[in-house]
Amino acid sequence: MSPDAVSGLAGAWPAGRVRRALLRKRSRFGDGAYSALRWAGAGLFGAVVLGLLVGIGSDSSAAFAHSGVGFIWSGTWNPAAGQYGAGILVLDTLLTTAVAMVLMVPIGLGTAVFLSELAPRWLAGPLSTLIGLLAAIPSIVVGLWGLLVLTPIFANQVEPFLASVPALGWLFRGEAYGPSILLASVVLAVMTLPTMVSLSRSAFGGVPLADREAALALGATRWQVVRRAVFPAARAGVSAAVTLAVGRALGESIAVAMVIGNRPAIPESLTTPGATLGSAIVNQFAEASPGIGTSSVIALGAVLLILTVLVNAGGQALLRSGSGSQAHTAGALR
Amino acid sequence: MRAFRIDGRPGAPGFFALPRGVAGSLALLAITAVAAGCGSTSATTTKPATTGTPASANLLGAAYDTSTQSPVTLNGAGANSIEPFFETVFYQYNQKNPNTTVNYSPAGSSVGVTDIQQGTVAFGDSEIPMTASQLAAATGGTVLQIPVDLGGVAISYNVPGVTKSIDLDGPTLAGIFDGSITNWDDPAIAALNPGVTLPNLAIKAVHRADSSGPGYDLDQYLIDTAPAWVTAIGTSTPSRTWPEASVGIGEQLNTGVATYISQTSGSIGFVEYGYALQNGFVNAAVKNSAGSFVAPTEASIAAAGAKATSLSPTDFNVVNEAGSGTYPIANFSWTLVYQKQTDTNTGIALGKLFDWVITSGQEDAASLGYAPLPSNVVTLAHNTILELESSTGTPLFSNGA
Repeated sequence: MSPDAVSGLAGAWPAGRVRRALLRKRSRFGDGAYSALRWAGAGLFGAVVLGLLVGIGSDSSAAFAHSGVGFIWSGTWNPAAGQYGAGILVLDTLLTTAVAMVLMVPIGLGTAVFLSELAPRWLAGPLSTLIGLLAAIPSIVVGLWGLLVLTPIFANQVEPFLASVPALGWLFRGEAYGPSILLASVVLAVMTLPTMVSLSRSAFGGVPLADREAALALGATRWQVVRRAVFPAARAGVSAAVTLAVGRALGESIAVAMVIGNRPAIPESLTTPGATLGSAIVNQFAEASPGIGTSSVIALGAVLLILTVLVNAGGQALLRSGSGSQAHTAGALR
Repeated sequence: MRAFRIDGRPGAPGFFALPRGVAGSLALLAITAVAAGCGSTSATTTKPATTGTPASANLLGAAYDTSTQSPVTLNGAGANSIEPFFETVFYQYNQKNPNTTVNYSPAGSSVGVTDIQQGTVAFGDSEIPMTASQLAAATGGTVLQIPVDLGGVAISYNVPGVTKSIDLDGPTLAGIFDGSITNWDDPAIAALNPGVTLPNLAIKAVHRADSSGPGYDLDQYLIDTAPAWVTAIGTSTPSRTWPEASVGIGEQLNTGVATYISQTSGSIGFVEYGYALQNGFVNAAVKNSAGSFVAPTEASIAAAGAKATSLSPTDFNVVNEAGSGTYPIANFSWTLVYQKQTDTNTGIALGKLFDWVITSGQEDAASLGYAPLPSNVVTLAHNTILELESSTGTPLFSNGA
């Protein structure tokens, strides 16, 4: 209701003037309170972020002073011998996230397209509910499922089979332990899938029906409609979904620690055990030795923070540089 | 769940009005009165004799009966290895004394140490006593360390066709865990086990990913018995964080290691014997300092504990002890409590609980994969409990026996 409508209504009332004055007064008070709340909220958020950064920075400074900047890429993480380096952990973190995205994004996009463009309504509803449920499962439960159900299957069937595939065997060579970079990636893929599906689905849902109809009228097939009309328009939403999924995969700790095998060594293949920044933090965080050990674990958190920011920024830059040419080709329907 | 009284002062509502010190003294009187009921009339708090106390009798006399105590919830955290034992004895204690409820979080020895340092729990538990620097970092003053159970570290494996204990010595175990022995039919293993058909199967060694008591004990055993191990890890100081983390795989807690062993053929790892027993694992017979191969049992672990004649928080090592029937990888678990208990009611409840755990509670030890504490250790534990004080420095217990 617009302000004019309110005053018009009030004018027709006997007690209109009083009421209008009251309304105005109340709304001024409300405006003030809301404004204060906004500033307080923004200030609090800023303070929390700043406090986090300062805390991580000061607590990890001892580790960086001890190991130098080389902490970030130095390869040996062996707290028992007092050797602290995040290099292999960074490598494995990027590797698990990349493999998880390779596995997850096509399936997630496919499911979202199916739900939004192809599925009959009686199927799309229940399926979306199921995917919502999957999103609500705590990561430790997914980790337990990976540990108890997937680990023996990977150790006895999946990993030996992959190693025997002629052209790809080198990617999966080595002892089939079960817990491995591949298994961690599969678990991460399962964990990030629901976010990907629901966010991309709403992005597709936001594409105007007229775009689709226009494409169909031009004689496009169903696939061409999706490829040429829906995808380009939903690009921002889909990339936001991928960004969120990447962020979660980079930082996931508990579930990864349960299925990756916790071996901080250079991986010889995807089926060797590994260790990520998150899993190392989970495993070492309780270590009571104050000083350099604790500081190094917090420094892992700092590296993870930097890595997440860099990957996100890189993704955004990639998106921006690609969007020009994409828009160009998107215009022309074949 | 019963409400936990924050002020925690014992007795009737009238106590609320009294200053803390007075309430504390009255509590002490109450304890003495209970003790008097079983024959002792002494209200003095002199240190008891350190010898000759029978392990079977409850050392605080009738004082461990908490039926007159106001309800207390004791929260503890620490060693994962002691969990099967604690779970059972705490439950049984609560059945006998419903006024004391105990919650124990088996998150690992390191958590037990950190939590007691920061005072977030009533008691901690660690498989290795706290070091001088760890004690110095405790925020609540002097920490008392009470030995509460005697356990062993089992070398468990899952090899199809091998259903009996195989013999392993220090150098062979070191080879398995440093990656120089990679197959079950390796000559080093075969030489120790003539007559056993070992399969051509890759070894999947599993160790603890978190820092742990069992890892520390096995590290100590390998350092004592295998020079190659010392060379491989580059130190002769045992570590709670597993030193060869880049070989095999790491799993969290005894539960994680046990789960991996039970579901993976070719695997070998180390777990607290209580967990090996629960899972029905086949355990290796490990070569002891007398040269014989001994599997973990109640008797062989007890034999190791019996060698701890001068046990203390600084002399706690019972790895590789002498004797032909001694299991070489054994250890005591230590409960950590502050000497000064800011809450008298909690302090009294703690003392009574752990005095029961080190005496009557030990009856359950054998069936759970632990060995009962030797009598000299019970005496040590009991005398440590008697050192508990109120916030004003008054001892909470006299020797009620």
